Amino acid sequence: MVSKAELMEGEFSRVLDAPERRSRFRRGRMVTRWDWFLWPAVLVSLVLLVLPQAMFVWLSFHADLGLGQVSDSLTARNYLHVLSDPFYRQSFWMTLYLSVAATGSGLALGFPAAYALARIGGWTASFMISLILTTSLVTVVVKLMGLNIILGSTGMVNRILLALALTSTPVQMLNNRLGVLIGLVQYTLPMTIVLLFGVMQTIPVTLEEAAATLGASHAGTFRQVIVPNAKAGLVSAGLIAFNMSMGAFTSAVLLGGGRVRTIPVLIQQMIIQNTDYAEGATLSTVLVALVFIINLAVGAAFVATGAKERQDVA
Amino acid sequence: MASVAIQNVCKFYAGMAAVRDADLTVEQGEFVVLLGPSGCGKTTTLRMVAGFVQPSRGRILIGGEDVTRVAPRARNIGMVFQNYALFPNMSVAGNIAFGLRQKGASRAGTRARVAELLELIQMPGRGESLITTLSGGQQQRVALARALAVSPRVLLMDEPLGALDARLREAMQLELAAMQRRLGITTILVTHDQQEAMVLADRIVVMADGRIQQTGTPDQLYQHPSNRFVAEFVGFNNILAGRVGAVNAGRAQIVLRGGHRVWVPTRRQPQPGDSVKLAIRPQHVEISERQAGSGSSLSGQVEERRFLGNRVNYSVRLPLDEVVLAECPAERPPLAPGTTVSVSWPTERAHLFDTAGRALHGE
Repeated sequence: MVSKAELMEGEFSRVLDAPERRSRFRRGRMVTRWDWFLWPAVLVSLVLLVLPQAMFVWLSFHADLGLGQVSDSLTARNYLHVLSDPFYRQSFWMTLYLSVAATGSGLALGFPAAYALARIGGWTASFMISLILTTSLVTVVVKLMGLNIILGSTGMVNRILLALALTSTPVQMLNNRLGVLIGLVQYTLPMTIVLLFGVMQTIPVTLEEAAATLGASHAGTFRQVIVPNAKAGLVSAGLIAFNMSMGAFTSAVLLGGGRVRTIPVLIQQMIIQNTDYAEGATLSTVLVALVFIINLAVGAAFVATGAKERQDVA
Repeated sequence: MASVAIQNVCKFYAGMAAVRDADLTVEQGEFVVLLGPSGCGKTTTLRMVAGFVQPSRGRILIGGEDVTRVAPRARNIGMVFQNYALFPNMSVAGNIAFGLRQKGASRAGTRARVAELLELIQMPGRGESLITTLSGGQQQRVALARALAVSPRVLLMDEPLGALDARLREAMQLELAAMQRRLGITTILVTHDQQEAMVLADRIVVMADGRIQQTGTPDQLYQHPSNRFVAEFVGFNNILAGRVGAVNAGRAQIVLRGGHRVWVPTRRQPQPGDSVKLAIRPQHVEISERQAGSGSSLSGQVEERRFLGNRVNYSVRLPLDEVVLAECPAERPPLAPGTTVSVSWPTERAHLFDTAGRALHGE
């Protein structure tokens, strides 16, 4: 399609005489090549990210000979093994389940928080967002050790639960899935809040006021105005939290106590402990492919429902 | 439809008064415009009627019922916001139907009402359009239709035309005035545009510094501004300082700062010696090339000539550095900057204010 500006440009160049047109052209070539500034970052990510991944994919198609050696011939045997092994399949399901649960809990906690921060606004909100960001930069190990202390059977959380008579025996929150889930939520929540905060800020408060003058309740406004307008942000924040959780290793190891063996934990065990490079590479390739497909599917579903909803409303 | 009464309303923010002692009754079906510069309290007043701002003192009545403590959603009002506040996730029809859906109106009834309103805003068949595809003027109409859909008791508008370009704004003003008259809906509109207020209002309420300065029809305001602030706001752009010389029945002689004497009509008798301000509209100032021997007239030098198409504006500097603006017909032979001119005005066109800004001319 030809834009209006381009059409006008055409008209101008017809009107302008030749020398002037040449000078315009020369000016056009003087334009800075912004794309050049991209190349260093592209090179760095190529070396540090794409190359090792390609290496993994290559490894996954070769038979492991032990001690980091692989065969020369190509084979799909690793994939057949990983996909048919019930233990691996169960681990994939568990990783998926924990990630979905962490994402859901994170959104449920983060959405109201982001909404409140966006509505409070000003310096208070900026200060609190920067607090969230800085605490999220504290290394995961330190934060998880803190969780270890308060989540133990004699830890603060259990003492409060017992004192409130919400439970009669201490709740087991370490070395099991619940512990890992708590760790994942703690790991992803700051990112979720910050991302949602950005989205919430773009929803003007006058939309809520308009809804109020039209007789909508607070809940109705939230459901009909806030959530639909934040939907794109919810989906993207959710996907990022999900992706972070799917790859999370530290929380699974430190709070799962080796008993919650998610795929990232198994990959580490395969490669570092068993030096079975081919199997580890296969697991990680399947994990990346799975995450990639889920992201694409969610994106496609979002676009499709958006189009359908627009039709429905009309 | 209902009347609106604002009774002794004050609003303080951290001890600062945004609105002070506002007292105003808007009759059923009346179109009232709150007019004033930004920060004058007009929007706060409107938002108190809407229920978004809680008055610190005083009462607000809609249709005789005290709604001071009633939530916005229970007030049955329609509001048009400055940036329209249309729901971007809904179509035009979805926006217009929003209020009806909250009331649980039937599907068929909603559809009929939406079609009716689309007809009213001259956008029939545009119900399925997305908000983002509409022009500013169309968004404005949809916002109006959405507010009217629920048949509110009162229509509130906060600078509804502020985001439109000048020509479209003028067209929308006429349309809005006609629509309001046809529907007979009680309307309060906030604007900082004097012209807009004149076009739309049955009654204008001029506000400044959180206080209502004057309430009256556009005519009353234009002819008899009750204080200097209102006078300047409705186009008395020339303010000259002076002192009362002599006073006789209905007139006072004012000695301007340069020593020149003029007579001004006045009903309230000022005391000789009082300091006063004289206000004259630019279109009432007459200037002519100074003839030798016209010793008694006020004289000045043309400083700048500004051609505006149908008229020409001259800035004339008086001997004591006061500048008088004169608006002349464009057909007159031009006066070059530097020309010495006589400055005069018809006696009855000058308005007199005391040092506190109160009018000395009217009742």
